[in-house]
Amino acid sequence: MRVSWNWLSEMVELSGVGGPQGLADLLTRRGLEVEGTHSLAAGFEKVISVQILERNPHPQADRLSLCKVTTGKGEPLEIVCGAQNMKAGDKVALAQVGASLPNGMKIALSKIRGVTSNGMLCSEEELMLKEKSEGILILPPATPLGKPLAEILGRDDTVLTLKITPNRGDCMSHWGIAREVAAAIGKKAKRPTPKLLDLKGSPVSVHLEAGESGPQFWGCYIEGVTIGPSPDWVVKRLEALGSRSINNVVDATNLLLFELGQPVHAYDADRIEGKKLSIRLAREGEEIPLLDGTTVTVTHSDLVIADGKRAVGLAGVMGGGNSEVQDKTQHVFLECAEFAPSSVRRTAARYQRKTDAAQRFERGIDPLGHAHAIARLAQLVTELAGGKIKGSTNALMPSRDSKKMKPREIRMNKTFCEDFLGMPVTSKEIHKLLEAHDCEVQETEKNWIVTPPSYRLDIAIKEDLAEEVARSLGYDKIPSTVPKLSNVPTPTASEEAGLRFALLNRAKDALVQEGMMEALNFSFTSRARLQQFGMTSSVKLANPLSEEYEFMVPSLLPGLVSNSIYNWNHHFGSEPLAIRLFEFRPTFQASGKIEANSETETGVQENWKLAIALTGPRFAGGLRNERGEVDFYDLKAMVESLFDRLGTKGIRIQPMNPLGSSTYPGLFHPGQSAEILAGNQAAGVIGLLHPGKALELKTRAPLWLVELDWEAVARLSRPVTQSRPFKAWPEFPSMERDFALVVRDDISADKITQLALKAGKPLAKVAKVFDIYRGSQVAKGMTSVAVRVIFLDEGRSLQESEADAASAKILESWKKELGAELRS
Amino acid sequence: MIEKLDAIGTQALRDVEAAANLEAIEQVRIAVLGKKGALSEVLKGLGAVSNEERPKIGAAANTWKGKIEGALETRKSALEKAVLEEKLKTERIDVTLPSRTPHRGTLHPVTQTTRKLIQVFSRLGFDVTTGPEIETEFLNFEAVNIPKDHPARDMQDTFFAGPGVVLRTHTSPVQMRSMRTRGKWPVRILCPGAVYRCDDDATHSPMFHQIEGLWVDQGVKMSDLKGTLEFFAKEMFGASTKIRFRPSYFPFVEPGAEVDVSCFNCGGKPGVSCRVCKGTGWIEILGAGMVHPRLFEVAGFSEAEGYDKLTGFAFGLGIERIAMLLHEISDLRLMYHGDVRFLSQF
Repeated sequence: MRVSWNWLSEMVELSGVGGPQGLADLLTRRGLEVEGTHSLAAGFEKVISVQILERNPHPQADRLSLCKVTTGKGEPLEIVCGAQNMKAGDKVALAQVGASLPNGMKIALSKIRGVTSNGMLCSEEELMLKEKSEGILILPPATPLGKPLAEILGRDDTVLTLKITPNRGDCMSHWGIAREVAAAIGKKAKRPTPKLLDLKGSPVSVHLEAGESGPQFWGCYIEGVTIGPSPDWVVKRLEALGSRSINNVVDATNLLLFELGQPVHAYDADRIEGKKLSIRLAREGEEIPLLDGTTVTVTHSDLVIADGKRAVGLAGVMGGGNSEVQDKTQHVFLECAEFAPSSVRRTAARYQRKTDAAQRFERGIDPLGHAHAIARLAQLVTELAGGKIKGSTNALMPSRDSKKMKPREIRMNKTFCEDFLGMPVTSKEIHKLLEAHDCEVQETEKNWIVTPPSYRLDIAIKEDLAEEVARSLGYDKIPSTVPKLSNVPTPTASEEAGLRFALLNRAKDALVQEGMMEALNFSFTSRARLQQFGMTSSVKLANPLSEEYEFMVPSLLPGLVSNSIYNWNHHFGSEPLAIRLFEFRPTFQASGKIEANSETETGVQENWKLAIALTGPRFAGGLRNERGEVDFYDLKAMVESLFDRLGTKGIRIQPMNPLGSSTYPGLFHPGQSAEILAGNQAAGVIGLLHPGKALELKTRAPLWLVELDWEAVARLSRPVTQSRPFKAWPEFPSMERDFALVVRDDISADKITQLALKAGKPLAKVAKVFDIYRGSQVAKGMTSVAVRVIFLDEGRSLQESEADAASAKILESWKKELGAELRS
Repeated sequence: MIEKLDAIGTQALRDVEAAANLEAIEQVRIAVLGKKGALSEVLKGLGAVSNEERPKIGAAANTWKGKIEGALETRKSALEKAVLEEKLKTERIDVTLPSRTPHRGTLHPVTQTTRKLIQVFSRLGFDVTTGPEIETEFLNFEAVNIPKDHPARDMQDTFFAGPGVVLRTHTSPVQMRSMRTRGKWPVRILCPGAVYRCDDDATHSPMFHQIEGLWVDQGVKMSDLKGTLEFFAKEMFGASTKIRFRPSYFPFVEPGAEVDVSCFNCGGKPGVSCRVCKGTGWIEILGAGMVHPRLFEVAGFSEAEGYDKLTGFAFGLGIERIAMLLHEISDLRLMYHGDVRFLSQF
């Protein structure tokens, strides 16, 4: 909202506030944030009115003139001028040496074709008064000489731009701001006080047909107006506030809005059908032509102003084009009403018309301000457009009858402010500053009983009063104290959310230790993107920013794959690029309808997942052939190391079902991916991005991916509050036996080792494959596998014969179950 | 015989000295000290020597033997050393070749900043708690005193996922959930997490992160809020940091305040041209205030004994904003590209 310094000064004495900047600081300190101050005279400094005494041709240039000008006193000045539209005797605008014009031009003492020019005669274009202009600005003959042009043009004003918070509807006007400033500096604010209207004799009647949605309607009939342009001061004032002058009557309504914050409207009285206006709910599908030339089709929940026949305005938002004041209008009917904030807000939002009026109504206006506002409006209209008041009328719901209204009393303990704010403040101070804010203050032994003024809709509870006190004394007067712990902090172990959060952080640290970087993607995605990955989302936004952000992600993989492609596309040169990303974020699923079934249920499940994308050299630095390329086993190591650090038990990585992953159809290489099981439940997939998909997505290298159901992993992990237990190593030496087996190449290492542990019970404690060989030395379709089995009894030293016996059993089992033979 | 021994010994020492390699040394040893060596040969004739002479010759022979063995050993180790040195010369590596660097992992600046914030506030006794990102309109708005059709809704442009279901616009619903679950005060919690608003430009992202703090207890004062935030500002931005409260409005607090910290870049001297604070000396950093009593009613606290003394403070700040300030990141959007050139820097 814009506020004119000059206008404000008419309402409150501003001499002591330290100019516009001082005022801006004062308002901001009180919670009325000033976003900027703009002097309308900026660039007009050192531009003054002068009169041309002589105009002579320039001795060196045909198209230039040499003008002798006077500022009214002192020696005449010589100015070189290129314009042709001036003559001796004209009054013009001189930019003196040192001026810096609104268009950025700096005026210096300069020689033009050998003649010194003591400044420049300005055009309207150079002063940015018009976008284009011919010749220089010629001022009216009556213009006094030597005066600042800003003053002559009425530009000696500064406009403050305020960001009014939604609770302070009362500050959406000059009067509102003046009241606030007056309270702050201990002065009285004053405003024009027209005589209140006699409520009789109006040819047009007003009616309330929407109950509390439109609780009051005041009207005034003015006959014999002359519609025409507004006087200069009105045009200037409106322009300064960013509003355009329309005609004298409409301008009067706008002035009133800016003066008092009460939106009002003027109808052409002769265009009101049936000589009546009412506030009512719209009829479904009713059409209203609006002032801005458009027509809206309204719904039953919109509030309209209607005459005897049709809707003539969208209540509180915009007047109707079918009843607006025209050039030929002779009689006007003025409307000053109140509409329920929520109704205006809904309608304004529905038709996307956040007008000045709507912004004020939705914040709430002074329910007792109408008698004054309509009288002031009638005064302004008759001043600007002539005519005389024929009659006035009003209609009020009982809730708006000042005689029947209940006072809004707030009871506040006298020590409350001090206790609540923690700042010292005396009773006297509180009393004084509440009264300065137009509160009625009564005192009992222990309490204040405070009635806030009708316009302060935001003051309803004692905390609001405390805020008034704090704001008035200054927030900087509040000391800093330390809050007291009245009990011990909650033990982490007893807080599920805290435990989850800590485990998540432990997992992030574990991955960072593996050289992974944490990525963060938006949870939005598009249908097209999901289709590319063979996915769908069950959570769709009703009002997405764009199609690209229409759905909530069901998986983190598309995001990390996109990140990888982004990295490849931004990578230049021949250095190999390592992409090692992980992300921990929720994914979103809905099994049924998404709606609020209770205060806390949305129908959406959030499942936290961990995703990894890996590609590039195994080492960040080093010689090329030593850096290697990551493959499945690096990825697997990453995941296993994570489980190890988290103390996760019961997770298995097992070969993918030959049909591929059902969760990620077609996304993984069928032969180079595996399923991750938590217990017996699918908890994720690990493997290579399907080469066909990779081609389609234009990846530049094999991309290794993991997605894990974090909830499942978290359940199987050691709680963060538990420490890792120490385990003593065996006291007696173990024995090792190495085997070189030849098996069919479809037999997994896992099978071989599992069998060894089973057959070698109880002494076989560890079995692992430590080498494999496929090639000319073994038959086609076979693999040579080197297996080491470690035997141990924790209580004693083993005999060679015991290890041999166990080995024999293992061999036999391998032969029987797998058809394995020892390699000769 | 003595002369003979002396001649052999002297010759042997000369031969040792002249041996060019380990094999030559061995040959000398065998030639002199071996079973059929010169010295042994001489000593074989010891039987023919008189009893008187014998010990003298024996002693002389032993002396020579010792000398020769010593010389052999010295010469041998000298030769071995020379061989090793020769070998080492061929084993030189170029220490200036690039190192086999492991990959350095990094946490996203949002995570790092969140942790730092939690660390700071934890010292005062806050616990961490979290909640869902998709929320009911009730918990996101009505429950925290932002009624339907209230202009305060404009302060947070909202994504809807269904009737009455929103992507949370702040982490305040976590505060409400937490108060309701605990069902009693004191409540001292930090609620970090992602939030969403329909905004997308250079300084606004449709998804970003917040952390909110809530302290509810009997007799909590606004000055406690100030002390808490002053501590935070000093921990986060340096011990000389000052804070400034400006009155403002957030529906869930009363009174409400915008909080600025003195600029850590220019030291908060107004008028200096500073890219961080734009010469104002202050950086707007968070919103805060005293919890609106309406929230306690919704939380179910209003029936409990001692409710009349129940007050609280709350504050909320944007994590990306803090991260951008701390790391001097100029463009918010860099946070969400998964760009390794960006991520590797933190």
